[in-house]
Amino acid sequence: MTSKTVMCPQCKHQITIEGNPGETVILTCPNCNLKGKFTFPGEKSTGSFSIQVNGLTKIFKDLKAVDNVSFNVRRGEIYGFLGPNGAGKTTTIKAMLGLIHTNSGEVKINGFSINGESINARKNVGFLPERVAFYENLTPLQTLHFFCELRGVDKSVARPLLKEVGLEEAIDRKVGTFSKGMIQLLGVAQALIGNPSVYVLDEPTSGLDARWAKIIRDKIKMLNERGATVLFSSHNLNEVENLADRVAIINKGKLIAEDTVTNLSKYLHMKPRLEITIKGLNGKIPDVISNFQGVEAVEVKGNILCITCESPIRAKVISSLEKAGLIIDNIKTIEPSLEDTFIKLIEGGGA
Amino acid sequence: MATINPRAIYTIAKKEFLDNIRNKWIILLTIIFIILIVVFSYVAGGQTGEDTFGNMQNTVFGLLGISSLLIPLIAIILGFSTISGEAESGALYVVLSYPIRRIEVLLGKLLGLGFVITASIFLGFGLGGIVIASTVGTQSFGGYIAFILLSIFLGFIYLSLAICISSYCKRRITSIGGGILVFFWGMIYGTVLMGIYFGMGHSMEDLMSGNIPDWFFNSVVFSPGDLYQTAVQRAFGVTTIDAAGFKFSIPEFLSTPVLLLSQIIWFTIPLILAYYFFKRRDI
Repeated sequence: MTSKTVMCPQCKHQITIEGNPGETVILTCPNCNLKGKFTFPGEKSTGSFSIQVNGLTKIFKDLKAVDNVSFNVRRGEIYGFLGPNGAGKTTTIKAMLGLIHTNSGEVKINGFSINGESINARKNVGFLPERVAFYENLTPLQTLHFFCELRGVDKSVARPLLKEVGLEEAIDRKVGTFSKGMIQLLGVAQALIGNPSVYVLDEPTSGLDARWAKIIRDKIKMLNERGATVLFSSHNLNEVENLADRVAIINKGKLIAEDTVTNLSKYLHMKPRLEITIKGLNGKIPDVISNFQGVEAVEVKGNILCITCESPIRAKVISSLEKAGLIIDNIKTIEPSLEDTFIKLIEGGGA
Repeated sequence: MATINPRAIYTIAKKEFLDNIRNKWIILLTIIFIILIVVFSYVAGGQTGEDTFGNMQNTVFGLLGISSLLIPLIAIILGFSTISGEAESGALYVVLSYPIRRIEVLLGKLLGLGFVITASIFLGFGLGGIVIASTVGTQSFGGYIAFILLSIFLGFIYLSLAICISSYCKRRITSIGGGILVFFWGMIYGTVLMGIYFGMGHSMEDLMSGNIPDWFFNSVVFSPGDLYQTAVQRAFGVTTIDAAGFKFSIPEFLSTPVLLLSQIIWFTIPLILAYYFFKRRDI
């Protein structure tokens, strides 16, 4: 951020403004109210972030769908955007792409503001909406040709893209005859047009069967390996945990956490869980464990005893169980999952 | 102000054309056009005592009533859900995530859908015109060309209205309602005027004898369909209407420039409103 003093051409009043190289700032002279704009010299510096969201707020009538949300997505990372249904994920994504008008806040993609420089901002973004639809009377090839033209990319990329997503056999069929999975794959193909550096995928595997979902997850990994930045929203915790480098959790329009899964767990002081398989347990908590000093939580699922406690207590617990004559078949330590973290955060543990 | 990219408009227009030219309703209405023009031509010939095809003017005047209903219908079918329907389905999310401005999307849609109407009218009225010209000659051929152009313009006017409704309505179902309202306004406008005329104490005899006040004629500016019919009559050089027992003159006020200007206003204002609504719309 640099500052610059400019002179009002009308009243000669000196105005000091702040901005980044290449950034255009709209200013009003405090003395004579003359409006103008100033572009800071130099090339636009995007820093290490592909997506910058700052203070985004969207209010629908009396509902605050997105409440002062800020986060940054680093260049080349997979960023999971997680939240329960109605949390504000899709609204945030739509605002990021300028599909909806926000009440306040700013979004920059590759350093370009989605409001002031929307064409430049969207030039390098591949987007897959949650509810993707195409034109029923067009074939997938015509559909991709259309999007190639919109992006200014040679139409010859369309066929290889359809092959890449496994739709080459349906190349001459009308899109109106496609299944939901095929439409989603066509959506992925259109997002890949022109090899954008940033991908925004809203619930990319939502409503798909396991086979289609896997194809799309593999595609996300492949994009990331190519060096692209991927932001994807999901309410599938396993998916986010397996794919994302970092995770943002949104609930009731507010960003309640943002970090790696491991760091989020640490932040919430979530401990690994001990899962002990005991012969003949049959859903009953052993007496020796009830009121055991240092054990924070005990749960039984059939023959599996789940215990949450600090590491030094674990050995004592196992020893006590053996002394009590219980036959231990198996012992596993389960690290806190994203699901655990998510539930704790949603329930207010991180607030 | 950012410049408009004609290439983006062309891309959207081409897609709209390709997607809608195969619309079964449009194909059906085009076939109806062709059948109608041949039938009306034959009927017009019968009215003049000839057992053959009528001349172009009689055919066109016979067709005017039905074409001023069919063309708006086609335009409304094409345009009513072009924004609201695509926003609801999700197709618009993808398009607007590309480097394209909303004004370019809107103009592309207008042109693409307008070309569908143009193709339909050219095919229907053009083929019909060739048939008549080959049987009864090319008398009033200039008027016939003007009729085709005015028909296309009527299509664009209703398209502009339909896109305006589609930009304003949040849901496809509400824009269907809006489309129906606009269509029926065109249908009932004449009846409304007659109601006002008789309500002001005029009688049927007044009407039959041509005792019609200027406001009655001048109010055609509030109905694109009536403007179209009057403009077509002017294009054939007709200043006095003598049909179905009615005989009256088209007032001087309704000159060709006034008629065209009124049509341009009917086209432009809804389009400006459509852009206003679309630009502010959350997709």
